[in-house]
Amino acid sequence: MKIKEDLRTIRFAVIICVICSLLISTTVAVLKQRQDDNVELDRRINVLKAFGQPIVDAEGSPLSKEAVDLVFAAHIEEILIDKETGSLLEGLTSEDIPRNERNAKSSKDRTMLPLYRWTENGEIVQYSFPVSGLGLWSMIYGYLAVDSTLTEFSGITFYKHGETPGMGAEVEKAWFQDQFKGKVFFTAGDLQRFEVKREGADSDELHAVSGISAATMTGNGLTVFLNRDLALYERYFSKIRKTKGIGDG
Amino acid sequence: MAKLKETVLDPLSDNNPITVQVLGICSALAVTIKVETSFVMSLALTSVLICSNLIISLLRNVMPSKIRMIVEMTVIASLVILADNILKAYMYDVSRQLSVFVGLIITNCIVMGRAEAFALQNPPRLSLVDGFGNGLGYSAILIVVASLREVIGFGTWYNYQVLPLAYEGNGLVILAPGAFIIIGLIIWIQRSVIHKVEED
Repeated sequence: MKIKEDLRTIRFAVIICVICSLLISTTVAVLKQRQDDNVELDRRINVLKAFGQPIVDAEGSPLSKEAVDLVFAAHIEEILIDKETGSLLEGLTSEDIPRNERNAKSSKDRTMLPLYRWTENGEIVQYSFPVSGLGLWSMIYGYLAVDSTLTEFSGITFYKHGETPGMGAEVEKAWFQDQFKGKVFFTAGDLQRFEVKREGADSDELHAVSGISAATMTGNGLTVFLNRDLALYERYFSKIRKTKGIGDG
Repeated sequence: MAKLKETVLDPLSDNNPITVQVLGICSALAVTIKVETSFVMSLALTSVLICSNLIISLLRNVMPSKIRMIVEMTVIASLVILADNILKAYMYDVSRQLSVFVGLIITNCIVMGRAEAFALQNPPRLSLVDGFGNGLGYSAILIVVASLREVIGFGTWYNYQVLPLAYEGNGLVILAPGAFIIIGLIIWIQRSVIHKVEED
């Protein structure tokens, strides 16, 4: 009697598990493409935002996938850079990024660094690359854009973080991000240390922006990872400056 | 019919899952910064609650009592993963703001609580209605808390500017302690002003 009851219990458990797992795997399989498209669209929109491009259409609604793809096709080139040597990896596209690096949390986990070029009529106008690192208690993800002379920031955007609302979370606000435009990271032949200062820093400072009130640690985090990521891309930027003879170097 | 009506209305105030039973507080604190996220969270929880109550009630006579809670957990967890995936596919922005909290519906005591306390003893139709009623009770509190926090904290409601742009915004209500205070006040008002709950 006991064994019969146990068998019944096991049979019931197996049936429930099979039904539930079938249900979940089917849903995940059906929705996977759509979810991946969302993530990719979000990434592309953030690249546009870093380049200072509008991310809403004339009516104020978010850009459609088609509209974003059009802008990408017309203006944006994605290239890959070898992290160690800073040389351009010719002929490689984002498809060639090793699988384990696709969702890399920061440049620490990458061997290939993605770089986006914004071109107008074949001329490169801006560069943009992902920046990420630890804030106070979360990873902060963003894109930093620099001008074609590779000396000034032309824009920055942070799109994902878990900082405190009203404090560290202000990094996603326009007032904070707008400060970066025109700040200089390369003068006199050298990469300059960039700093997110405490709140109320002098806005005329060339290599610093004013931090967020009550979020000093978030600002310190930004200072660390922005400088780290800039130094990595500088290996490539210095080559470009040399060949083009631009910048103060 | 009277029983149906009571099943829906009871959890709205007399037996509200948040303010009277004080369940599901974790998500009520975490997602109520904005009305939009609270609304989607309410929708997700209510759907999960309705479905889990219905399924558990249908299974109540064939389910071996030894593995009762494990089966309930399995059903609830599957439903939550479904809801999470649907949100990621069709409401990507909101699902990103809700981050882990949709997934955490699995551990929301309201869902398990209604399965144990109601769906196991009642027929499917009544259980479904009970799930709907409790979802509504949870949603009502979430929307009230979120409205207060968004208006006081940002000067907006459902992302529409309702206070003058010059309004500075209040940082306290945006943080978790602000939510604690607001929920505490609501519990106090409900218990002392509307319903005189007798203290033992």
